[in-house]
Amino acid sequence: MRGLLAALVLAACSAASAEQAFVTNQLSDNLTVVDLANLQPLATIAIGGKPAGIAITPDGSFAYVTSPDDKAVSVIDAAAREVVGRIAVGGGPLGIAVAPDGSTVYVADWYAAAIRVIDAKARAVVADIAVGASPSGLAVTPDGRLLLSADRDDDSVSVIDTATRERKAVIKVGTRPFGVTIDPEGKRAYTANVGSNDVSVIDLAALREIGRVKTGLRPYAVALAQGRGFVTDQYDGTVSVFDLATLAPLKRITVGDYPEGIAATADGRRIIVANWESNTLSIIDAEALKVIGEVKVGNGPRAFGAFLRR
Amino acid sequence: MRVRLAAALAALTTLAIVTTALTTAGAHGPTRRKVQEQVEINATPAKVWAVIGNFQDMGWLAPVARTEGEKGNEIGATRRLTLKDGATVEEELYKYDAEKMSYSYRITAVDVKVLPVTNYSSTITVQPGADGKGSVVEWAGAFYRGFPNNEPPPELNDEAAIKAVTGLYRDGLDGLKKKIESGS
Repeated sequence: MRGLLAALVLAACSAASAEQAFVTNQLSDNLTVVDLANLQPLATIAIGGKPAGIAITPDGSFAYVTSPDDKAVSVIDAAAREVVGRIAVGGGPLGIAVAPDGSTVYVADWYAAAIRVIDAKARAVVADIAVGASPSGLAVTPDGRLLLSADRDDDSVSVIDTATRERKAVIKVGTRPFGVTIDPEGKRAYTANVGSNDVSVIDLAALREIGRVKTGLRPYAVALAQGRGFVTDQYDGTVSVFDLATLAPLKRITVGDYPEGIAATADGRRIIVANWESNTLSIIDAEALKVIGEVKVGNGPRAFGAFLRR
Repeated sequence: MRVRLAAALAALTTLAIVTTALTTAGAHGPTRRKVQEQVEINATPAKVWAVIGNFQDMGWLAPVARTEGEKGNEIGATRRLTLKDGATVEEELYKYDAEKMSYSYRITAVDVKVLPVTNYSSTITVQPGADGKGSVVEWAGAFYRGFPNNEPPPELNDEAAIKAVTGLYRDGLDGLKKKIESGS
């Protein structure tokens, strides 16, 4: 029994050691790669153009980073930690997501009520999809069939059929949704509503909002682990935790100032939070619901999107 | 159009019109900016806190003629600053910790001609000085530029916003130091 436990712990450690956080530092114009096993920075990659959004392919090979001030998306070889390409997309690229098979990258144009579709191999924009005003967070269902766009200034989420590249539904949510997160089963989505200080819970089969959870002030994005939702409250400097089954609030965990990007590690044991004002990552134990570590990163970390490399 | 608030608070007194009331979490540019300024004051933290710790009195800031508000220092308290030129700024308190001598508030309504920012929030904190004697006051702000869309005009771009807030904090803190150290 003890041997089995030790083996399990070892397995968990080695799995965690492969994981890295790719943190976009918007004000220092670069990206910090952090080893999540020992919480040490591994590399700093120069990006430019005020990098904000990030999406890493599920196989860990590439990271795509938006630079709104340069109207561009940088392509990073995530293993080599090198910028290997730059794609001009125009407008104000912010939110970004990649299809599960890595073939297609979706970029939200904050100013144009549109999503740019990038062919990952060709590294070029191949189509546009019309959505609501100020699209911000993007997420693709695990089966790759649906793309969700949190249309901030329309208080709604656009649901796009990725095969036809057309919007098939618009779901009303709380006020000014910013980050959107889909669960691993592809059944529910969660938006952090900056204006109404809550999270909207969306049923992806029924295509409607089925619940609302109160959070702290100016919630930014949501992560999921251990049957719980974790929400960064920018103005409160906290992470609000709620139960995914009952939608009951569980706890507020104090992190750094202006927490923004948030994600769960693959094993669901830890939550990684980027603190924009403090220039740090907070590491939360997702079971014990407490902060267990902190890492210094660059200036103004946003890490908006899927920023963990597994 | 003059928006050089950066050139200190001078602009505050030259601009009289208040038209806009930007809504909470309104539209904004892609990059939030930060400014942090500090001042050392030769007085105890308690003495400094006594001057700035009341959210309902921003009289310590030179351009402010009048502070009117509700709910004292409670979370959610509001205040309306009337500047000497007649312009107004509306603010709401969202954090207040008398023990840590720190509070945070956000602007709920201001014309970008008065301060070229949107979605502005700030924190003022008083701490003991490094030598254990005086105090250090830090004023930190987070905000987006005044122009919410792409291709901002120069007076409403990121640089203009940073310059304006830096000027506000610098003049405000230097004025506070002078006021306290001169005993006025």
